[in-house]
Amino acid sequence: MQTKKLFLAAAVAAGMVITASAGGNADLVKEGEKIFNTKKIGNCLACHAVNGKKIDNPGNLGPKLQGLSVWPEQALYDKIYNPYTTNPISAMPPFGLNGVLSDHQIKAVVAYLKTIK
Amino acid sequence: MIAKAVKATVAVMIGGVLLNAGSFDVQAEKDRQALVKYFMKKFSDPVKNRGQFFPYATEEDMKNIMPVKKVEDFRLGSYAFSKVGRSQYEEINEMPPYEDDIDAGEELYNGTKGIKECFPDPAIAGEYPKFDEKQGKVVTLSVAINDCLKAHGQKPWKLTKGKIADLEAFFAAKSKEAGKKVHITIPSKAAAEAYERGKKAYYAQRGYLKLSCANCHVQGSGNRVRREYLSPLLGATTHFPVYRLKWQGLGTLERRIKGCEKNQGENPHKPGSQWVSEILYFMAYMSNGLPVDGPDIRK
Ligand code: HEC
Ligand code: HEC
Repeated sequence: MQTKKLFLAAAVAAGMVITASAGGNADLVKEGEKIFNTKKIGNCLACHAVNGKKIDNPGNLGPKLQGLSVWPEQALYDKIYNPYTTNPISAMPPFGLNGVLSDHQIKAVVAYLKTIK
Repeated sequence: MIAKAVKATVAVMIGGVLLNAGSFDVQAEKDRQALVKYFMKKFSDPVKNRGQFFPYATEEDMKNIMPVKKVEDFRLGSYAFSKVGRSQYEEINEMPPYEDDIDAGEELYNGTKGIKECFPDPAIAGEYPKFDEKQGKVVTLSVAINDCLKAHGQKPWKLTKGKIADLEAFFAAKSKEAGKKVHITIPSKAAAEAYERGKKAYYAQRGYLKLSCANCHVQGSGNRVRREYLSPLLGATTHFPVYRLKWQGLGTLERRIKGCEKNQGENPHKPGSQWVSEILYFMAYMSNGLPVDGPDIRK
């Protein structure tokens, strides 16, 4: 009885943790996707198509984004924060450096980029 | 031997004459020729040049981007190379939506006090912006029209649309009819300095997006922001005022620049300000020798 209860509690707890983290991450991905596709916020689609996602008329000033799921989160964060660190003549705007996107918003975009195959 | 010496003297004389006549536009002329070369190369063979100039183009883009053979074609903006854009453009131009505006402009020309005295020859669209030595500054056609109105005791017009655009449409149509070409001059050191400031403004990364005009209209030209192909700097001013479908009406260069400063994520400068007039001076100089082709239509 005792063990059963304990087990149940543990399972529930574990389940909750899992859902919470999955739900939290899913929310973050969703938020990042919205930033990516909204003109007034990230407007990333102005320049980027995305492999495997349906984007409404993406531009091609930047490369089609693919394989980003294998990039380290920090590298993605840095690219969005300030692309000049790795490419001094990048035509991509520095969204963190110039204060367009907050730390939290960049993390949300990174979460979304990590879903790109 | 003598022949050789004579040849050398003649060469020196020609060099000397050129230097005297045009010494203030030496740099601008170099810039212009380099730009022409860049765009002629970029669009000479898009498929061959894909890696260098259109690195992120899709297969569909490559099917759509046509080679540009003649430098004059750059007056068409993105329709010089976009097949789909060009056919839509030709369709709309069968019934040009700006005809009434040209007529309205002609009425303003004949009926507005002072305008005929200030602009006895209406075929002058290709000569602006101009460096005005007396005022020591660049004046665009829009600014020159307003200066004229003020000099004749009248209230200036809005610089971006309305009457000013109609009058400019009439000037442009007359210039086109007369086969005029863009002919921007740099007559003095002060003019050359204004040109240099305009050039610097064009290439400066501005606004919170840190994009320069050149990011989109030099390197970026031929590529897309969303579905819009970006037009080349070469030819950018030849066809104004422009009837934009988005505006449902005519607008001046001043109006167009305002929108593009917003594309940079910037609060636009005031139309008629030194910054706007000088950037237009630089842009128009780059189109020297191209035919005046206004008014025209754009999406
Ligand atoms: C004005 C155009 C523009 C906008 C807007 C833009 N980018 Fe870029 N982006 C580029 C260009 C050009 C490159 C290629 C040069 C480089 O790597 O810096 C690039 C590269 C990248 C890369 C590296 C891709 C690779 O395979 O190397 C990532 C990731 C990226 N962008 C993400 C974003 C995100 C996220 C946003 C929006 C928050 C965004 N970009 C907005 C132009 C843009
Ligand atoms: C983020 C990209 C971007 C930037 C930066 C940008 N533009 Fe544009 N511009 C566009 C787009 C998109 C259009 C509409 C398509 C076209 O005709 O190029 C356009 C159109 C124009 C046109 C009309 C061209 C025509 O054929 O009628 C002019 C002129 C122009 N831009 C000037 C400028 C100037 C000057 C700057 C800098 C102050 C600038 N642009 C910065 C994207 C940009």
